[in-house]
Amino acid sequence: MTVLAEGYNAFETPKSPTGVVKYLGDPTAVIALISSGKLQDHIILAQGGTTTFLSPALTMGCLGVITLSGAPESHLGILSREFQIPCIMTAYQPNTETRYVTGGNNDEHFKQMIAALDGKKVRLKCDHHDVAQVLLED
Amino acid sequence: MIDHMAGYLKRYEPDDNGLRFQDLVYQGNFKGMEPVPDGILGDKIMRQRAKSKVLEKVSHQDVLRDNFTIDELNDLNNYLAWNIWDVLVMRATEGVSGMIPRQEYEILAFMHEFYRWPEILRMTNDEVGAQAIIDIGKSARREIGTKVNCVHDWCIGAVGFGMGRCGLLALEVIKPQDFVEESNIILKFMQRVLWGKRQDGYILNSQDRYRCLIHDQDFLDTLTPQLEEIEAGSEKHDAFVRFNATAELLAFLDHYDCRLGLGDTGPYPLPDGKVLIVRDLFCNEEVYHWSDVCDHEKVPHAYTMLVVLDAAKMGLEEIRVNDISTTFTRPKNYIPYITAGAVFVREKWNTPMSEVYSVPIKDLAPRLHGVQQATLKLYTKTSRMSRRQLITNGMYDYYIEMILPHLRLAGTYEKACKEYDFWEIDHRISDYYYDITKRGFAQATVPQKIFSGEGYLPFPDNVDPRRSKYFWD
Repeated sequence: MTVLAEGYNAFETPKSPTGVVKYLGDPTAVIALISSGKLQDHIILAQGGTTTFLSPALTMGCLGVITLSGAPESHLGILSREFQIPCIMTAYQPNTETRYVTGGNNDEHFKQMIAALDGKKVRLKCDHHDVAQVLLED
Repeated sequence: MIDHMAGYLKRYEPDDNGLRFQDLVYQGNFKGMEPVPDGILGDKIMRQRAKSKVLEKVSHQDVLRDNFTIDELNDLNNYLAWNIWDVLVMRATEGVSGMIPRQEYEILAFMHEFYRWPEILRMTNDEVGAQAIIDIGKSARREIGTKVNCVHDWCIGAVGFGMGRCGLLALEVIKPQDFVEESNIILKFMQRVLWGKRQDGYILNSQDRYRCLIHDQDFLDTLTPQLEEIEAGSEKHDAFVRFNATAELLAFLDHYDCRLGLGDTGPYPLPDGKVLIVRDLFCNEEVYHWSDVCDHEKVPHAYTMLVVLDAAKMGLEEIRVNDISTTFTRPKNYIPYITAGAVFVREKWNTPMSEVYSVPIKDLAPRLHGVQQATLKLYTKTSRMSRRQLITNGMYDYYIEMILPHLRLAGTYEKACKEYDFWEIDHRISDYYYDITKRGFAQATVPQKIFSGEGYLPFPDNVDPRRSKYFWD
């Protein structure tokens, strides 16, 4: 199975949801996804590790979340644990050099990650205590 | 059962140094010395490096004394800086919100607090006296749904003094020898509230191996009869967990993505070896105009969750109720090991304890719906606000909220509003609004100063404790 990305595991869980990655770039996109009734088809990809941005998706019960920054101690990490929604944080591609840098200019890294993940059908593997993986589903 | 008790109890043995929850280490003002780790070991090292006894158990007389020495101020400054790093350094990797410009509102609020709080806290202290401030802290021992809690009390010193002074130093608008008297006022207020709340001589949970055991047993005994057994994997378990998470999410959103909506105490050991967490979730703060959507959905001021964990079954190795009222465990996922729970409602911030009531888990569904609807409405409302509105609201969320519970109980909130212009924004802070986005000040410089500990410059040894003026170029 191809590992598309790895990151911090917000919490250990045997849950291993499958879905098509959907990047949500702004609140309008979040509201549109909720309104479409297709929330349950997607693994959500968000840039930040804060929780308010994804509030509607969390409260309505999304399948899983991938973020490009943040850690289990971030608010989204805490809330994903409380909801038991598998969550991989500060995801990166293991076969590339680019990584998220706190306080740095991460625009290029984010672009690469969104290009690598958005629209792909994936499965989240979150059973390890520290590291979680985004696996490409055939 | 006790023979098979999880390893977390080892954390309370005097020689135990606890687990490491992160790989990072802290340097702060201790250049040339060994870096400091997180957790119990970090607390020990920081206290060993103190020049005074202010980080050890202090007496009632110590707390009543109005003035810290310069060594005590510097010890508190250093310890709070490490404590901030300990609880927030990993959270700080979370980047921009996508909705609320939190880094921007935070830094403005920090600095605003440092400028404005001292006169308001001094007025409050003058109105009611030092003992009454201690008693405000003590009141939390026999209440649930109270915002006189770890995170608010900690914020007085850690945020208003620590990060506020750090931000102003970084902006180069004050010097280390400025505002000594004001710093004393803020830190003394914090010490009195926290000391009164804990009643064990310490002020912070990190000094007590991350325990916040503030509730008296006879008070807990009035709550625990409402606990319902919950079987993992059952519908009841799902209903309880979902309600907890959903209310917690609204609490975060109502408080602009910060921890002020959440308040854990514990872990209280139970006779059967399990542990109890008491969790306040503040879902509707009436001072915020945006909370009107919560009113419309009849969401109360606070839901309080009693959460019982099977520590042995979980293999619990360490549990931290940190100083911003949040519980973290190793292993991380405690949710499947919740074996009992209860939900209480406090309708308003000042609803008497005798009128706080419990809701059976089977009756939570309509309340869950109300919380979800309030969340969706608040999200939509927030998404339509301008950046300026969001930053202003966020500033109020910090600057007003962090001392609001204490002013309410002291009876000085109205006076602060009417005579001290509590809700006005200081002109200096209004000007800084235009500076904080330059050269990455809010998003890079301040986080680096705060989380490396480099920005918490000590007061000079020979500084006059009465120094209070800021400098002019």
